[in-house]
Amino acid sequence: MKRVFHHPEAPKGGKKYWRSSEELSELAQTPEFQQAVEREFPVGAAEFDQDEVSRRHFIKLMGASTALAGLGLAACRRPTLELVPFSNGVEWAIPSKPVFYTSSMPSPRGFIPLVVTTNDGRPTKIEGNPLHAMSNGGTDVFAQASILSLYDPDRAQNFLQNGQLSSEKQFTDYLQQVLPTLAADGGAGLAFVVERNTSPTRERLRDLIATKYPQARWCVYEPLGDDLYRQAAQIGFGDGVLPQPVISKADVIVSLDSDFLNAVEGTPDMARDFSNRRRVEKVGDKMNRLYAVENRFTITGGMADHRLRLPASQIGAFAVALAKKLGDPTLAPLADAINKSVQTAQIPDDWVSALAEDLVAARGRSLVLVGERQPVAVQLLGFGINQVLGNVGATLVGKPLTEKPSVSLASVASDIDDKKITCLVMIGGNPAFNAPVDLNWDKLQDKVSHIIRLGMYVDESSQGAHWHVPAAHYLEAWADGRAVDGSYVSVQPMIMPLFGGWSELDLLAFFAGLPKPKSSELIQDTFKQLAAAANFNDAWVKFLHDGFLAGSAAGERPLFFQTTAAAMYVGEHSSTPALMGEDAYEVVLVPDAKLIDGRYANLGWLQEMPDPVTQLTWDNAAIVSPATAKKLGVREHKVGVEVHDVIEIVFEDQRRLEIVALPVPGHADHSITIALGYGRKAPGYISKGAGVNAYPLRTSAEPYIALGAKVRKTDRTYPLALAQDESHMQGSLFVREATLEQYEKQPNFAQVAGLDAEAVNSVDIYTRPTYNAPNQWGMVVDLNTCTGCNACVIACQAENNIPIVGKEQVLKGRRMHWIRMDRYFASADNDDTNPEMVIEPVMCQHCEAAPCEAVCPVNATVHSDDGLNVMAYNRCIGTRYCANNCPFKVRRFNFFNFNERPIQDHDLYKGPLTPFGMKETLKLQKNPNVTVRMRGVMEKCTFCVQRIEMARIATKVKAGDSDDVTIPVDSFKSACQQACPSEALVFGDIKNPESKVSKLRASDKNYELLKYLNLHTRVTYLARLRNPNPKMPGADQVAGYEWNVKES
Amino acid sequence: MSETLTAEQKVIRPPLLNGGHGFKWVSENVSGIIQGKTPIWWWILFFICAPIGGAGMSLLVYQVSTGVGVWGENQPVGWGWDITCFVFWVGIAHAGTLISALLLLTRQKWRTGIGRAAEATTVFALMCGAVYPAVHIGRVWFAWYLAPIPNQYGMWPNFRSALLWDVFAVNAYLSVSAMFWLMGMIPDFATLKTRTSSPWMRRVYHILSCGWTGSAKNWRHYEMAALCLSGLSVALVFAVSSTVSFDFSTSVIPGWHTTIFPPYFVIGAIFAGMCMVLTIFIPLRAAYPQLKDIITLAHVDRMAKLLLMAALLVDYVYTSEFFMAYYGGNPYERHLFLSRYFPEYGPLWFYGRFMLFCNLFLPQLLWIRPIRKNLLLLFIICQFGTVGMWFERFVIIVPPITEDFLPSSWHIYHPTWVEVGTFAGTLGLFFTLVLLFIRFIPIVSIAELKGALPQADPHGEHKTQLTIP
Repeated sequence: MKRVFHHPEAPKGGKKYWRSSEELSELAQTPEFQQAVEREFPVGAAEFDQDEVSRRHFIKLMGASTALAGLGLAACRRPTLELVPFSNGVEWAIPSKPVFYTSSMPSPRGFIPLVVTTNDGRPTKIEGNPLHAMSNGGTDVFAQASILSLYDPDRAQNFLQNGQLSSEKQFTDYLQQVLPTLAADGGAGLAFVVERNTSPTRERLRDLIATKYPQARWCVYEPLGDDLYRQAAQIGFGDGVLPQPVISKADVIVSLDSDFLNAVEGTPDMARDFSNRRRVEKVGDKMNRLYAVENRFTITGGMADHRLRLPASQIGAFAVALAKKLGDPTLAPLADAINKSVQTAQIPDDWVSALAEDLVAARGRSLVLVGERQPVAVQLLGFGINQVLGNVGATLVGKPLTEKPSVSLASVASDIDDKKITCLVMIGGNPAFNAPVDLNWDKLQDKVSHIIRLGMYVDESSQGAHWHVPAAHYLEAWADGRAVDGSYVSVQPMIMPLFGGWSELDLLAFFAGLPKPKSSELIQDTFKQLAAAANFNDAWVKFLHDGFLAGSAAGERPLFFQTTAAAMYVGEHSSTPALMGEDAYEVVLVPDAKLIDGRYANLGWLQEMPDPVTQLTWDNAAIVSPATAKKLGVREHKVGVEVHDVIEIVFEDQRRLEIVALPVPGHADHSITIALGYGRKAPGYISKGAGVNAYPLRTSAEPYIALGAKVRKTDRTYPLALAQDESHMQGSLFVREATLEQYEKQPNFAQVAGLDAEAVNSVDIYTRPTYNAPNQWGMVVDLNTCTGCNACVIACQAENNIPIVGKEQVLKGRRMHWIRMDRYFASADNDDTNPEMVIEPVMCQHCEAAPCEAVCPVNATVHSDDGLNVMAYNRCIGTRYCANNCPFKVRRFNFFNFNERPIQDHDLYKGPLTPFGMKETLKLQKNPNVTVRMRGVMEKCTFCVQRIEMARIATKVKAGDSDDVTIPVDSFKSACQQACPSEALVFGDIKNPESKVSKLRASDKNYELLKYLNLHTRVTYLARLRNPNPKMPGADQVAGYEWNVKES
Repeated sequence: MSETLTAEQKVIRPPLLNGGHGFKWVSENVSGIIQGKTPIWWWILFFICAPIGGAGMSLLVYQVSTGVGVWGENQPVGWGWDITCFVFWVGIAHAGTLISALLLLTRQKWRTGIGRAAEATTVFALMCGAVYPAVHIGRVWFAWYLAPIPNQYGMWPNFRSALLWDVFAVNAYLSVSAMFWLMGMIPDFATLKTRTSSPWMRRVYHILSCGWTGSAKNWRHYEMAALCLSGLSVALVFAVSSTVSFDFSTSVIPGWHTTIFPPYFVIGAIFAGMCMVLTIFIPLRAAYPQLKDIITLAHVDRMAKLLLMAALLVDYVYTSEFFMAYYGGNPYERHLFLSRYFPEYGPLWFYGRFMLFCNLFLPQLLWIRPIRKNLLLLFIICQFGTVGMWFERFVIIVPPITEDFLPSSWHIYHPTWVEVGTFAGTLGLFFTLVLLFIRFIPIVSIAELKGALPQADPHGEHKTQLTIP
């Protein structure tokens, strides 16, 4: 056969998205090709039966997935599931050239549109899909970390019957045996417990199932989701519509315990919209204003211009006070209804007055967001306030709710208790771990005769199930869904199921009486209904290429707030609870910023990611205020403190918990915040031993805010691995901040602050080398838009093959993150109970006069001609001198062989006695363009030199014989920049005045860290601005800490 | 010149050898230590020190096989006990050279009694110190990258790096001091050769003495070589200490980046070395009573005075450094100095305070003559001095990188048992080597001591008296 080469054209420094080439389908149809395919590996060769899988086997799989992607898509009507060894690979797949596919990640709030990088058939990196309106290419930590969950060696790998090894065949045989008996009584004994998901195909299958089993129960269960919000929306606005905030249109935002900037409670587009309204490029630009009322510091509270700390149970009282200040008669019944009981927290009247005034002034441009954990009554009051402020329909718009009603987990539980349910199908979720404690879920599971569990892990719920079906990862299976804006998005497989798992749709299809889908036929059927395209093939290919169906975003639905219904509900159901006495505490149970409800507990990247506020890794803790800590007698954290005191929390009904206490400034007194999701009992190499399970404190009645806890300190201590020990800037202005007003008065305030004002103008004794490359790389970090969400940290970890080191090593101060989030509490007075929180991403600053380079005895770290401070790993002998001499302490040393040795259980110290080598699946995640570093080597941020080189090669290829080898301006991004939903990190060519980074560097807010050292850093920072309300009490204190700028 | 001095002005110096012994006594008593029976205390000490040394060194195997992580170092604190102990040992090494070479250059004949042992401490301490730079690195097997070996890639070490100068300096110092020490032993080995009855040992001594015949030509070359090497050694004392200090002073870290370090390190080295030399001599005099006539109380007194002088210089440096932190106006440096001594500024205050106690307050007792004469008290003060100097090195190295510029990176460093064990191992190694030295090498230079006897100078006592002011 004559070889026809169809290489993808060289990217112009950018990237290429999924390609379904016509020529490929032609090629795939050729008999030679198919013969080659058939001969080598028959169908089914990819089954993974054991943990110990040979490398060869994996290579085969990689090839398989490439072939699948190509063949499966091009010939979608007759999907061919063949395995192609990589050595016989399809023409267009060039080894070592990444291929990009669109997909999207399932999330209860709406699918997140993605672009997935695959290298030689294995997905290695995840980015946002910039083609989609809901994404600017940014993502969140969970999307970034989901690539690791695909390769998690602890994933369920087998069909299990009663915990014993079984097979797919046995499972299907079993189902075929059981299903007729269930159908006999219309499915009255059948219940599905599924996770929240906006997939239209799933809804379609649900309907099909309902025709076969009309009596079957369908329960959507999200342990820590937005159920209360949805309930309030249903009462306040009626069925079929869900109010959605429009952050981009709001000038004044009030967050009542709402952490909407964090990926747990918000979506990346909210952070993007918020940041767009914070960006100040020149004098005269306007900013939005954010007020936060919350019990603990969240990253939203950190971004706020004014923040009030209040126990979470008193947020309702605050909302009432605000409603009364607004004085609108519409709110009176609601406020009166909610305000029945005693208010115990001091709500500063002048604060509420100034806030109300500001809100009224911004009628129709303001927005009040009530946190998802607040009771329905408070949510309703929030809607009411938005209503009287004219925000409904402006900054709070209605979106159609496509999801059909479903039953609650509690009703399923009571049906089980009444022995009404004979077959329980649990898809995802983990009620045995995270259902409210009063449901006694783990005991209930004994009362059902058939429990089928589809799960990624053999977890707490699977352990009590009769059948465990390994679930396919979203990167392994076909699916679809709707993004936050309601648009229809695709989910494509990037690789064949590593462990032969079934997707949710596979299992549901079986119940619906359909054959197990071989490929995308289910999705195609849904697509046909939704798209109604004239030319199906073209539309389908475009759908997969773009990742979404153009024009499918849901339109707005009108919202009508039903005050009477709301007031009636509130009157019947709720009141502002009172804190009971001086010695009683409220316990606020929140989803963790890393594990959410515990679902990501086995992902090392997330476990080791420092919590953006507490900086805690590998554990949860009872977060208390410093005043409460003093009262309880528990120690505060500072440099040198490595163990903390354990407290005991007891409720009147005997619920009790022992957990370590960690005081954090800015927390409300008499309030204890505990993140859920830790203390997993299910086996998991990463999750074992991490934190304490706080679910036993959680009841159906008080799911998030539990009142009346008694707390005492115990004699026990517990080590906490915090990524940062010192939280005060110690008088040095590393984060420079001013109010918008001060900035307008003195735009260059950041350049003359602190020691910079004293420093002699840059004098070099020696001539500094000049850098002559056509591109000179640099980065600007905009502190005004950075929320501290950590997406860049995880993106960097995924891109640059950064290992995790385990709790023990984090405790020692040896974490490897190349980019870290420095978090400082700042106030004019160090004892301030309500300081500001500022977050500053710090990575290698790529100093032109780098202190690390001068001291390396072997020239292992040197400067490149395009201004990078580069590391030659092969040359490094590990003296650690460079790290000592780095003023920013961004260099990371491989104290152990973190990549090749087990990190848990003190195993690192057993050295050669432990097994050597990385888990096979984890190897697949590694970026082939980045060296995996060995022990004894120093490493640090490279400015993603592999991406620079890829763009350079492409430019050179394109340039041919010409001399134009300048990489086009802003044609590619560093990993952190790409992941940032707020566009706070801007990387590019500082030599080209047209580049974004050059323009930002020219800004008057631009400053260098430690400028007095004369390092000429290539990373600079844009000072942060706050926009306080001048009428607010304490407005003169905002951004006012040690703000001793010299008048110029 | 002696005629111009009156009787009152004439200072009668105590003789260098007490008891009016002659050449024969010197030969017999010094050689007797080697050729006599091994004392029981020697065996006891040897079987204490050697296993500790061996165990400590075997921890290096663990460290190299497993990773530097078995030590306690972390992200801000890249150097801990390893470099602290390295600088500590290099410091101890210096006193030996100074006593021996500097006193030789200045023709201080009282050095003859103590020179050999002092040089031995130099060599042994350097051997212990050299353990650290060799194995503290992450990839020991690539340590040869430090050597400027011509290669096809044109890759060279970084000659701008103080650490590289350090490697050269310590290597040069170790070779020169070993040479100086071994060369000084040639006439003594010849003496031993004539005294031994074993034909095997005679052959050994024959080789070690390089065919020494004692001819005038031999002596002429010998003395010229000693002069040259001692000149080199003295220069090296200053160069090596300064170079070691450059590791810190050429950096940008507040508390490291300071111009006072080169003299500071030299002075500190003299202080530490004096303490160590006294630590060896005082017990040695007790163990071998015949040495009391050779290492006299006058020697001890002079060394105690030198120790006091070194301590005062060290104190001056401490004060000056503290003043500069205040006067310089650098907030990072100011924070560092406060954190060294005050608990409210950082967790490492104890080290600073204990250092001041050992090196600032305790040595002031040496102003009092009875304390200088009291060997037990002197010994104790020396022990504190040695420990205090270790603390000084720790205080110089660790606190500046524990809390430097960005508070977000501040992190405390704790040594692990492996580091402590390795240091104990170097101590074991050091004292094992000292014990071997006592048994196998004349601890006093027989030839030089004989040369310093009045009998060696036929031209009378007045000359001897005048050379000592």
